[in-house]
Amino acid sequence: MPLVRKSTAAVDAPPADVEELKTALASSRPDERWQAARALIDMPGGIALLGAGLATEADIRVREVIFSGIARTATPEGAALLLQLLRSEDASLRSGALDALAAMPADMLAGRLPELLYDEDPDVRLLACELARGMPSEDATQLMADLLERESEPNVCAATMDVLAEIGGPQALPVLQRSAERFASSPFLAFAIEIAVKRIKTTLDSGR
Amino acid sequence: MNEDEFRRLCEFIYRRTGMVFTEAKRYYVERRMADRMLATGSTSFASYFARLRSDVRGEVEQFINAFTVNETYFYREDHQLQCLSADLLPRRILRPRANKTIRIWSVPCSTGEEPYSIAIWLLENWPQADAYEIEILGSDIDTRVLDAARAGLFGRRALMRLSADLIAKYFEQTDAEHWRLIDDLRQSISFSPVNLVEAAETRAHGAFDVIFCRNVLIYFDDASRRTAAENLYENLLPGGFICLGHSESMSRISPLFDVCRYSDAIVYQRPMERADG
Amino acid sequence: MADVTGKRILVVDDASLIRLYYRQALEAAGFTVEEALNGLEAIEKLLLEPVDLVIVDVNMPRMDGMTFLKTLRRQGSPIVAIPALVTSTEAAPQDLDAARAAGANFYLVKPLAQDVLVQYVRLMCGISA
Repeated sequence: MPLVRKSTAAVDAPPADVEELKTALASSRPDERWQAARALIDMPGGIALLGAGLATEADIRVREVIFSGIARTATPEGAALLLQLLRSEDASLRSGALDALAAMPADMLAGRLPELLYDEDPDVRLLACELARGMPSEDATQLMADLLERESEPNVCAATMDVLAEIGGPQALPVLQRSAERFASSPFLAFAIEIAVKRIKTTLDSGR
Repeated sequence: MNEDEFRRLCEFIYRRTGMVFTEAKRYYVERRMADRMLATGSTSFASYFARLRSDVRGEVEQFINAFTVNETYFYREDHQLQCLSADLLPRRILRPRANKTIRIWSVPCSTGEEPYSIAIWLLENWPQADAYEIEILGSDIDTRVLDAARAGLFGRRALMRLSADLIAKYFEQTDAEHWRLIDDLRQSISFSPVNLVEAAETRAHGAFDVIFCRNVLIYFDDASRRTAAENLYENLLPGGFICLGHSESMSRISPLFDVCRYSDAIVYQRPMERADG
Repeated sequence: MADVTGKRILVVDDASLIRLYYRQALEAAGFTVEEALNGLEAIEKLLLEPVDLVIVDVNMPRMDGMTFLKTLRRQGSPIVAIPALVTSTEAAPQDLDAARAAGANFYLVKPLAQDVLVQYVRLMCGISA
């Protein structure tokens, strides 16, 4: 029978020395950088090092391992780094940072979310809506309704409506109805409001 | 459930678990959801969906359970076994190898049906089997199922997909309802405990040509799923393959792997080692 | 000129209302519509069954639109050459350049009205007005 049992060699663990890992992070071999990035996350000063390397790191696998490591360790330092990256010009960095923020414990973000939703950059406000999706329905509804009320950028409004259509509660209905008048000339926003209102009402009716 | 509700349900489940249901599986989804609505006393899609979203009393896990029949049996999802012998292993042996060992990991392996199925399948269906040393490992986080796997004693239901010839060849009947795998087969497969989110534990298992990892990542939260995917990536040789369950997709979990489509299955591959550029 | 019968469009966007809005417009115009929530899911769907056109958002989880296009343009036949229409909230010239460099065939700025979308989709599928 060709089946065998052997005592296997383990997969190599990464070096435990920070200097060695730093050298590996600059390697031309993506697999080596990948392994170094994975190990550095848990080292003192590691997050700062990896954050500095992200902008020039072209390999999506190495980027992924940095983002998921920051999400897993869930430190305030990591969260601050990710929040900064939401302003990046690079779509892949923005999306990666958003994804990692969404995977962090909700209470780490809850305090930062209101200020992100007031950010002067509409792209940041838009991305921040996605973070509200992971929050309890009532909190998310409040944040999205408040934003929608004061927001003028149509794509940010669309993002609030997308979240409200999924998890919105009845307290969003008055704001949505007022927005319907405001956005009557934008076919997509009018459509988005209609769907969000319809879904919230259906959930409401079924709860009675 | 109307069109729009079906899509919303699928989207939620995809975001939350990584499970993918296409239009072709609509009937199957509707049946399972009707069961869950009945069990939870929900009277409408909206009320059940609200319950699922807020995960009242672990409803997400209950919902997943309704889709992943927890009963395992020999030759379950045999299209993947077909893919293993027809597509994956032939590709693994294309390049010259340092040694003649092919390593396959079944994780989680539960009570052993999957790793033993892989063994029997390869002995029966892979013509090159005799030219290689095939090492199959089964691992699970639950040590009680590992004891059962080592014992290799199975009931009638576990064998329902095997032909009488295969049962006669690889099992000995112990009583009216039970069959024990022959010693040769039992002794050629090792079993070990493993927690997929602990890199120290996964690394100890070494690197594999093919990993079967079915219906477990869907139960993890987002961060754990990504960690597990990275651990599994390390456990693959460059060019090695990982197979997930039939409703699972790596696309919601991690961009680490390349997607490969073969005639019998979608599988994921660790790319060959490459330099930048 | 080709007609719309049997033409399949894949909409890749994580915003469910946008997918729904596009779907309604395209189905009303006779197209068959598939959906994906991110670039990775889109690649998987294309490998299972190619389409005639992909409509791609830029910001998406797990794999963004630009990375998706670069990945798509590295695949083999028959999916490598599928035309791609990028729809994005970003309207700066460098965003258009980045999309073109990644492999986009056309770029429209969100939000889009249904008639505009259908008009460009028909054009990109080689269907006469």
